[in-house]
Amino acid sequence: MNYTINKENMFYKTAIAVFVLLITFGNFSCKKIDDVQSTRLATEETNWKTLEDAKANLLSIYGLLRSATVADNAHWLMGDLRQGDFTITNRADLKAIVNGQLNASYPVINRITNWRPYYAAINAASLFIERSKEIQALDPRYTKINNDVDVAQARMLRAFAYFYMTRIWGDVPLLTSSHDGEFVKLGRSPQQKVLAFATNELLAAAKVVPFRYGGTDPIMPGLYYGGNWPSWNGIIFTRLSAYILLAHIAAWQGNYIDAANYSKFVLDNQSTQYFVDGANPLDYIDMNALTENQNNYSPFAYKRANLMVGFPFEAGNGLGTANGHLEQLTLAEPFIPKSRPEMFVSKDTILKAFTNPFDLRFSVDPVKGLYRTNYFYGVESELPIFNKVKVIYPSNTSGNVTLFSSSMVFSRMEEITLLRAEALAVLGLKDDALNALNRACLLRGISFSTSTPDLIAAIFQERRRELMGEGWRWYDIIRYNRIKNPQRVFTTKNGTAMTFKQFEAAGGIYWPVSQDVINANSSITQNPYWQ
Amino acid sequence: MVKIYTSVCIALFLSVFGSQSLYAHGAWLKTANGSYFVFQQDTTKVKKDSSAYSIKTDTIGQMVRALQKFKTVRDTINIRSSTPVPNLSLQQIIKGNLAGVYVKEPNGEPGTEQSMIIQGASGQLFTKKDIYALQPAIYLNGVPLVADNPFAFDVQKYDFNRIGPATNLLSQISIDNIQSISVIKDPFELAKLGPNAANGAIYITTKNARAGLRDISLNSYFGYVTPPSVNTVNGVYENNFRKPFYQKYATAENYAGYASYLRDSTNSAYYGPSNWNDVYYNTTPTYSADLGITGGGDRANFRFYGSGTKNAGNADATNINRYNLFFGINMAPFKWLTVSSNVNAARLDRNRNRSLRDRFAETRYIPDLTSPLSPNAAIYEGFLEENDKSVDNNRTNILNGNLSLTAKISKLTLSSSLIFDYNEGVRDYFTPSTLMDGVSYVSNYFGYSQRLMINNTASYKYEINKKHTVNFEIGQSFQGDTHKYNYARAYNGPNDYVKLNLVDGNSGDDDYLNTLAAGGFYVFRYIDKERNNLMSFYGSAKYSYKNLLDVNVLLRRDGASNGQPDSRWVTTPAFNGTFNLKEQFLKSNTFFNSLHLSAGWGRNIRIFLDDRYAAGPQYRSENGWFEEPTIPGYGGKLGINRPYDSGFIGYGIKLPYADRTSITLDGSILNNRINVAITAYNRDNKNQVIGVPVPFETGYSLNYQSGMDINNKGLELMLNALVITNPKGLSWNTTVNFNYNKNKLTALPNGLTELISGNDKLVIGKPVGSFWLYTNNGIYNTNAEVPAGRTFNGIPLKAGDPNWADYNGDNRVDNKDKVLSGDRLPKFIGGWNNTIAYKSFDLNFNFIFALGQKAINQYEATRYGFINREAGNDINSVKEVSSWQIFDNEKTYPIYNPWSDVDAYRTDQDLFLEDASYLKLRSVTLGYDLGKTSLFKKSGSAVRRAYLYATAMNLFTITKFSGVDPELVNYNGYYDGANLTIPRTFVLGFKLDL
Repeated sequence: MNYTINKENMFYKTAIAVFVLLITFGNFSCKKIDDVQSTRLATEETNWKTLEDAKANLLSIYGLLRSATVADNAHWLMGDLRQGDFTITNRADLKAIVNGQLNASYPVINRITNWRPYYAAINAASLFIERSKEIQALDPRYTKINNDVDVAQARMLRAFAYFYMTRIWGDVPLLTSSHDGEFVKLGRSPQQKVLAFATNELLAAAKVVPFRYGGTDPIMPGLYYGGNWPSWNGIIFTRLSAYILLAHIAAWQGNYIDAANYSKFVLDNQSTQYFVDGANPLDYIDMNALTENQNNYSPFAYKRANLMVGFPFEAGNGLGTANGHLEQLTLAEPFIPKSRPEMFVSKDTILKAFTNPFDLRFSVDPVKGLYRTNYFYGVESELPIFNKVKVIYPSNTSGNVTLFSSSMVFSRMEEITLLRAEALAVLGLKDDALNALNRACLLRGISFSTSTPDLIAAIFQERRRELMGEGWRWYDIIRYNRIKNPQRVFTTKNGTAMTFKQFEAAGGIYWPVSQDVINANSSITQNPYWQ
Repeated sequence: MVKIYTSVCIALFLSVFGSQSLYAHGAWLKTANGSYFVFQQDTTKVKKDSSAYSIKTDTIGQMVRALQKFKTVRDTINIRSSTPVPNLSLQQIIKGNLAGVYVKEPNGEPGTEQSMIIQGASGQLFTKKDIYALQPAIYLNGVPLVADNPFAFDVQKYDFNRIGPATNLLSQISIDNIQSISVIKDPFELAKLGPNAANGAIYITTKNARAGLRDISLNSYFGYVTPPSVNTVNGVYENNFRKPFYQKYATAENYAGYASYLRDSTNSAYYGPSNWNDVYYNTTPTYSADLGITGGGDRANFRFYGSGTKNAGNADATNINRYNLFFGINMAPFKWLTVSSNVNAARLDRNRNRSLRDRFAETRYIPDLTSPLSPNAAIYEGFLEENDKSVDNNRTNILNGNLSLTAKISKLTLSSSLIFDYNEGVRDYFTPSTLMDGVSYVSNYFGYSQRLMINNTASYKYEINKKHTVNFEIGQSFQGDTHKYNYARAYNGPNDYVKLNLVDGNSGDDDYLNTLAAGGFYVFRYIDKERNNLMSFYGSAKYSYKNLLDVNVLLRRDGASNGQPDSRWVTTPAFNGTFNLKEQFLKSNTFFNSLHLSAGWGRNIRIFLDDRYAAGPQYRSENGWFEEPTIPGYGGKLGINRPYDSGFIGYGIKLPYADRTSITLDGSILNNRINVAITAYNRDNKNQVIGVPVPFETGYSLNYQSGMDINNKGLELMLNALVITNPKGLSWNTTVNFNYNKNKLTALPNGLTELISGNDKLVIGKPVGSFWLYTNNGIYNTNAEVPAGRTFNGIPLKAGDPNWADYNGDNRVDNKDKVLSGDRLPKFIGGWNNTIAYKSFDLNFNFIFALGQKAINQYEATRYGFINREAGNDINSVKEVSSWQIFDNEKTYPIYNPWSDVDAYRTDQDLFLEDASYLKLRSVTLGYDLGKTSLFKKSGSAVRRAYLYATAMNLFTITKFSGVDPELVNYNGYYDGANLTIPRTFVLGFKLDL
């Protein structure tokens, strides 16, 4: 058991030395623990420092608001189904919406009635407004005007989110700052207060924001984040977008004087954006651009200046998605390999809506003797396909890949012109209203004469045709009934008939809020109609 | 790093065999037999030469084992009865045989992920990511294996399978190379292993290099995996099944929407023969062969082991090929210095299933599902032919090992080791356009995980006098983990022959490297990387008083890079003591041969798998939504924002920790024929992080906060008895382990008492695995039976709707009326292993059981809720070919109105809650040892053992569960019938030891 170690042995000494070195070298650095930075996220230390941070944070506000509006096709489920033109084939959740059972416990309905994604966009906007000025001090490339314009965009987006939510839920909680890190519990605010806030924000933003970015607009000339106008058109909101939103908020509140003024601004300035800075012009679109994805003008297929308020999807940037587009609900054979669409417009409804035989959207083509297929394909069959919007990867009108890249179009020239016509008609300015109406449907093959008996009804009928499938129908019905206030039965609840006024007073025009929202915040009360 | 290691290894190898200048010393440390105490006694050959299979220690081996730290081990596998069973993965080997370890094998497909939970769940069980966080540490010869990181789920829409090969990395374990597998549950030992072992540890020691006679062992088996018996059905059955629903509730419109594939009863695709099982299930061969050689002298010895295994599943042409190479050497260049090293390399090639659900989950593309797969084999074969055009290569390469140097200088021992584990996975997947409505799909994944660890320890034995001894030890280690992957998915290739994502490589062309060029695929790319470092220092002391008392004390300080800046470094203590009761009180007692009482307490910190928590308030790229989760930005540019979707993480998150206490009484009685041990344990997992729901108006859904505490208490009983022992005749050895666990949530952050997370609810005082369900009391047959004004979440209930209990009496059935019932995890688990031997024959049976767990039968819920399932064209609407069958003990459910808005067949009601307890006969082995017969003995050859055996696995199950197998329940407690069955296997094999 005993052995001696020859202490003078050279081997022994060097080996011990090696050993000691092994034990102490290298791995004793506490830096290895304290300085490991994550490469998967940005922290408070790395964000809000450079021009690129400003761009990324600003564009994500758009991204969040886009997600909120198109997730689960909510824009179309909420806008086109209630008392709408679409019939549902098989989907029980969509049928529940059409039947007015908005609190049915389907997962899709549960998700679209949850307003969290809108508040995520609002919070991102508030955070941007509060934090983006820090970048000015740190990065000289981020100029003051750049920051002002970005903050104005954030304000517009925040206002748009509130307006969009008010249309859906009525009274919604109003948060005007980010409350970063605090999880405040607020109750619903009256919608007039929310809309007043939105209006003020839009007015303030409209003073700052240019008509176009990255080009020769006198308000902010020069490249915007290194991109020219053709790279930015249709993607971000401009001054005209602000005025469109102002016009809509005013119309929603019944304030048609302001609606007329704001929409006048938009129409008057359309010509200034016509063939400027190398981009495709802002103009009224013909049938090819409306339904056949014509390259220069289609706001559905490409990001164009014609997409005045809305969110594009760019197949070229990895954004062709299945969900989030009308096509997922309305297209089938022969456009995509799907046997039946999930919703369609019945022949009966088509014939009632499209009465003018010269209407280029739907009528009998005198040359071929067949029905035009721009809007509806296969009208003779049991299930006509509503193919107005058909942007199939990358921007084809048909294909095998069921990934769609159509934009969510909130407003375009025709839409704002029709709103102007509506405002003028309500104000009694019939001639101007008629001019506006005829301008809007100039490229559709129809026109209206001074002998039109009910101009307001005609305008809303034209809105129904022009904006079918763009998420407007339900809101147009509400505005129409507010204007006309008819005494007929609007709907029945549990056997009781209600007129529109009664329905509106009871809160029925709004959607219920998801139970998950109420569970998370007890200050939120359910809309009384849906309790 | 790998290159450096291999070159060092080669250099050492050469120095041993090439060097002539070694000192020769005659005196070596005397070996002491029995420095291991193996609980599971291998008593069938108790009188024979134990050197053949008991653990032999030697000079070098002792130093090597000193590194491996564990000298007294109780909870270990009976290797002898495990080697003839053709298990593939570590989880399958230990299922039921290690006390306290609950193994979940939800899919019989070979090589799929399986989970292990030791002594109850330490965290919530909501998502697949949560399950990864509950897995114990696996040590292979002291190397803590690094597992796949669940950060890949961030870019996935569905979490059925992780992207990449998703192969169970613990399939690299080849049982013929294993010396021992034990579970470490003792608080002190776990604290010594450190934060890696916060969920317990499984310690595997392979057969290692040792001195002695050259030792060759050759093992092989061949057998078949058999298909289950299936009662197939076709469209006629389905029509008859649907008739009562239509007769009771359908309107004309509903009849018009009748499933199109069932309308035409002359269609032979659905109304023809239902013989898909002939093509889908197959009797497949499964086989393996391996060779191990150990040899060398006292100064240098080695072990080499190589094996090849094909483990097959019985369905869908699934199998996995495993190739394993192991090499270990020990050298003693000087008397006081030992160098030892071992390297383990494995390659796993997996052939995966062809199920629709897994394909659509991977491609994230659901084609039109109105016409499901036909049960007619002729047509199904056509589908399989198209499937042959697809490519699905799943390869995993694993390399791990260690290099250690130990120096023993009088009473001081110094050791330093370099440990590494590297595994990489590659998956190339292509699906032709004929299977996806004209769109082909290709995806490529390359990911790796790597762990490098440097450990240094110094220990000193101080003998105060003959009675008192103190062993001091200090240690330091640094561990660095890296996880990375690159993943690309692409759609719509030019044709079905181009199975690669090709881009133009000519820099002069316009379309140089443009993936959107005409004719190219439409590509989405993902990359991610995460690093995680751990630095530890510890000091421990062990005091021994004669052989009566041993007290261990440990203090350690760990720094984890995944912690927030103010809580990265944590100091944790641990201690335990063992008291030899027999020596103290019962010296003269003949009934007890040994009796020990030990108790311990230890604390481990738990490190996060995700580096998000360390960052505090952060910004990520989260611009997607539920159906499209991975949208990177807007307008063709990156967008970053606060993590509204995934949850806010603020400051003040501290590293969670686990406090363990355990008391064990173990003893042997009746002349060492019976060994018993009883353990009582209590574990408190404190300060865990959980997402607390916050008002949605802030934009967030969750705020991650510390403060969730979970408590697990339990009792474990292990009994090993030599019931009959008769060396010339019959002997019977039996081992039972029986474990009870009680899990309870004890605290939530912010003083909350309950927390709702999606469809689950956590309530203080209830188990974390509880289901949250509506109580179903039957059906309303007429509208009159419905209480006036009763609604379900605001929808009025009508005839044909279920009668759900309204507990709070507000005439509204909603979340407040859901109750917590059942538990996903079992209360009692264990196994019973018997070996009966007679002369040279032996017979072994192994039973395993798990009692008390429940499962939701989602398969039946979607079968009865066919209207909603077929109307939504999503992942839950997928009808696999294996759904064209009926099961023997299927339950029947009431006929509700399937068109009702309340979703009558929803899965969150107790109508579908079933008892998933089971008792299974896992394996039966009959063997005969030829080496003992006179044939071999007379010839004088060196054959020590020539063992022939036949094994049958998974013979029968006793259960009340109405699905095909109660084990095939997913991690979330849902049985969806989409997983392959665990097959009945029969093999014949031999084991030759020379």
